[in-house]
Formats: sequence, C-alpha cells, structure tokens
Amino acid sequence: MTWAVVAAVVVALALGATAGVGRAEEPGYAKAVTCSACHGFGGNSRVEAVPILAGMAPAYFKKAIEDYAAGRRVSAEMEPFAKQVTLLGVDELAAFFAAQRRAPVASRPDRDAAERGRAAAGPCASCHGAQGQGDQAKVIPRIAGQQAAYLRNQLLLFKADKRSPGDEAVTKMKAALKEIPDAALADLAAYYSGLR
Amino acid sequence: MARLTRREFLAAGGKSAAGALTVAGLAGCAAMRGETESTSRRRVVVVGGGWGGATAAKYVRLADPTIEVVLLEPSATFVSCPFSNLVLSGVRGIGQLTFGYEGLRKHGVKVRHEAATAIEPDTRRVRVGDGMLAYDRLIVAPGVDFLLDQVEGLAAAQDRILHAWKAGPQTVELARQLHAMPDGGVFVLTVPPVAYRCPPGPYERICQVAWYLKAHKPRAKLIVLDANQNIVSKAALFRAAWQAYPNIEYRASNKLARVDPGAREVTTDFGDTVRYDVVNVIPPQRAGAIAVQADLVGADKRWCEVDHVTYESVKHRNAHVVGDATIGLPVPKSGTIANAMGKICANAVVSLLAGRPVAAVPPLNTCYSWVNDREAMAVVNAYKIENGKVVQIEQKLTAGHSTLYAQHAEGWARSVWTDILG
Repeated sequence: MTWAVVAAVVVALALGATAGVGRAEEPGYAKAVTCSACHGFGGNSRVEAVPILAGMAPAYFKKAIEDYAAGRRVSAEMEPFAKQVTLLGVDELAAFFAAQRRAPVASRPDRDAAERGRAAAGPCASCHGAQGQGDQAKVIPRIAGQQAAYLRNQLLLFKADKRSPGDEAVTKMKAALKEIPDAALADLAAYYSGLR
Repeated sequence: MARLTRREFLAAGGKSAAGALTVAGLAGCAAMRGETESTSRRRVVVVGGGWGGATAAKYVRLADPTIEVVLLEPSATFVSCPFSNLVLSGVRGIGQLTFGYEGLRKHGVKVRHEAATAIEPDTRRVRVGDGMLAYDRLIVAPGVDFLLDQVEGLAAAQDRILHAWKAGPQTVELARQLHAMPDGGVFVLTVPPVAYRCPPGPYERICQVAWYLKAHKPRAKLIVLDANQNIVSKAALFRAAWQAYPNIEYRASNKLARVDPGAREVTTDFGDTVRYDVVNVIPPQRAGAIAVQADLVGADKRWCEVDHVTYESVKHRNAHVVGDATIGLPVPKSGTIANAMGKICANAVVSLLAGRPVAAVPPLNTCYSWVNDREAMAVVNAYKIENGKVVQIEQKLTAGHSTLYAQHAEGWARSVWTDILG
C-alpha cells in the first residue's frame, strides 16, 4: 500500500467512526445543554416526575414555556427557567428538543395498571389520538412515552384546576377528570407512558 | 499531532484503538487542508473530577468525540457533597452518594487517578507524577481548599477537628461522632465567612444535626457560631424551619478565632469561649491548591476570575476554570452551577478548538436543602448574558419546605448525577 492509500483509509475510518456522533454543530445543542441537569441528555428525562422533552412538538414546548413564565403553570423551578429560555431563544430550543428521538422510559410501568388505563383511555384518544401521539395543529401534546409520574401529576393538577386556569382548550378535559378517581388517573398515566 | 512523522502516523494508524485512528486521521485531514498546528493538535486536559470537571470531560467528548480528553482525578470514586448532610443524620448512607467513573470511560474520557501537581500555562503542560502532559485547552475544576491558618490551632488539629465539607471519610466520621455524643452534650458547628462552597449547606447541616439530636438525644444542644451577620442563604426559610428545633442556639457575627481540641473549646474573635462535646469547623475557603500554584487566582490569592461566556481564565489563555473556584459571576458556589459551567465551558472549548464562535449561554441554579428526614425547600436562580457578562434575571424561593420539594430534590439528584457521570 502506498502512503496515500494508507492515509486515505485511515482518514475514511476516522470520519466513519465519528460522523454524526459529535453534537457540537447541531442547531440549538449548545443552548439546550443546561436543561439536561434535570431533563436528561437531549431532553430524555430518566426521572419519573420530570417530563421528557425529546420529541415534543415545538408549539407545545413554546406554550409550556409561556405558561410557566406567566404562572399559568405553577412551578418554583420552571418559572425562572422559563424566563431564561425565553431570553435565550425559545424557538431554537423548541426545534432542538423536537428533533431529538424520544427514548423509552426507563421504568417499567405496572402491567395491570397499564391494562386498566388502556381500557379507560377512550375519552383521551378523542383529542390525544389513538396512540397518544397528540395533534400538533391543535397544540395537543404527545403523551405516548412520557414519564408516568409526570403525566399523573398533570392529570391531578388539571382535575384540581391548578393548571392553566381559564384556558378553554382544557375546560372539557378538566370536567371529565373530575369524575375519575385519582387511582384511575395513575392507570391512564401508566398506559400512555408505556406506549411508543 | 500535526507534526507526526510518516513513521509515527503509520504506527498510530496501525493500532486497533479507535482513538489512535481518530487522532491520526485528523492529522491527515489537517495536513491535507493545510490547517495550522493549533487547530489540529487537540487534547483537552481536565484537572479535577468533581461536579464541574467530570461534567466538562464528558461533555467535551459528547460535543466532539475526535478530541482526546484526559481527566486527572486522584480519587477512585466520586462522592456527592449535595445530600451528604443527610449522612450526618443517618437518613442516607455514604454509599448512596458514591459513584465510579466508568460512565466517563464509556464516553472515551481517559480517566487517570493521579493528581496534577503543577500547571505550566505558558508551555501548556500539566505535571503528573514524574511526567508532563501537554494540552491544547485546559479545564481546571479544583474545587475548594481550606485556609486553616485563619483559625489558631486548626492546622495542628486536623486529625481531631473535622470539616466534613468534602463528602467522604470525614462525613462518615463526623456522623459517628454525632451519634456517639452523650445525650445532654453540646455540638458546636462553625460557619465560615463568605465566600465558601454551598451557601445554604451549613444551614441545611444545622437542620440535619438538630433533627437527629431532637429525635435521639433530646437533652443535647447545637450551638452555631456563624461568622456572617445573618444566615447566608434562604434565611427566612431556614428561620421558619428552625422553629421545629428549639435545641438550636444560633449566634450570628461570631467568627471562629481559635480551637483548642485538648480543652474541647473554641473561641470567637470576641473572646467568647464555648465548650463542646463534638465540634464541626467548616473552615474559611479558597480555590483548590492547584489553582493557586498555577497563578489562576486573583490578587486575593483565593478565587479565579474567568470570562463569563468561555470560562477562560482572565490570567492565562487556553486555561479555563469552572465550579466553586470561580469568582465574579453572580452565582452561588453550588453543584448545579458547577454542572452547568462544566457543560457550557466544554462547548466553548470545543468551539474554540474548531475556530467557531462560542455560543453565549448562561448557567442556571437549583439548590435544594433538606430541613428534616422527609422535607426540603429550594432556591432557584435564572440568568442571562448581557454584554458578555452573566446577569441574574430572577431568584425564586419555594414558599416553604414540603415533601413535594424533597421528591424534587431526589429527582434532581438522580438526574444530575447521571448528567455528570452517566
């Protein structure tokens, strides 16, 4: 082998080994990096009560940030951070997280709970889709593959009218949730968390 | 690396290790594209494997795996300071806070359990043992060291008077002393003047010691000698939490001047002497010794001033400093901040090595404090970058302490430990 061929082979191997692996030049990566302390690398939270941001629709991400910043969603942690995200560039961060692949949740949902949830999920499907995929055009979130404890906590907040007060888009859901026992809300969360 | 001879190039290419191939391949690219030596010799050395350093090492590799990263950390394990006050009260075991560095190795970080004994910023080299390690960019995460000479008698009493301010054997030993203390005894805890690692940490520790004493030694007392004029962080929240602990005697503006382990006495700068059964002196602090040796500290010889966007030292180019050792940013010396700095600095270093502009990204902070065995509270800080400087947008405190925030604290810890080491 000549020197040039050896060099070409080694260069090709090196590029092949690293192409697509480094994140440095990915749009939004540098700005999103501090979120990973709680939301996991690339927005794939490994903590049951912390939402996965990977694969979240940009419009819903943006709405969530606006709601936290304005206090329509109450969180001591997210209220200041939502303001930080707004100044940093919410569109860029929304696009970054939307482009990340949502990894399956680490914890295995209780199979019996998930089965009970599946049986009771009919009303949810009318807005969130048959597979919980959401509806981007209507800013209805994807709930499939989301962390179970986070989903359950949000359902409890909606039920108690402690999230998004006065928001007409969720009036119907809140009314429906009032009729559902808390344990059954946990079943729904377990079911949707387990969907891919 | 750009100056590799043909023989060296072939030798490197012939190795099976992917790292060697990668480095050699880049050298080839550089030669072909005619890049200068500075952009093609790419080794980042990280000094210190704590919250800032371990995070930085991992995130350089995540941003650009063609960069060689060497992490120098003498300790074989990482022990989390956050949550270590719970070891004193027996609510957690030290094992639950102890992790290995295998995760970093999986990211291709070359973890060497050796100490950097000197840094030569001018020649861009770090001394390790008998050898020298060259770098293109250096990230120093030295943590803190103690100014023992500011308290008379403290340096000579290090085997008996514990700080437990670097989680590890001292944490376990202080817990043992607390648990062995007689009921009716006096535990003295001294808080150093600002700036020190973890502003709310001493006050969380006060909660944990008081909670333990209340439950197990109801006749015992905790006397706090605080060098500061008031509780340094979350003052109103801690005052509210301490309502549950009448066994706390808190004395502000009581700076520790002298320790006498023979007589089991400490003396303040007012000349007041307090007798103790167990003492915990959290000493005055400065940046870790290596930062002083490398002349990365300011005129006060204590802390390192850095650029707010790149964390490059204002004193030495190509050397960056992250974590508790830094000064000048309006941020607490907290684990979350060190983690954020590690990531932002890693991305800045990767951009600088590639000749790209550096994204201006502010850090963020959450800081949870446990007030008993099952409740916690938090302070949250958000920032922006304005004219190249980090500026605080908002500081928010939780309304009080609760089991909900304890759950948040646990979730944060699991997540951030994975972010640092996983």
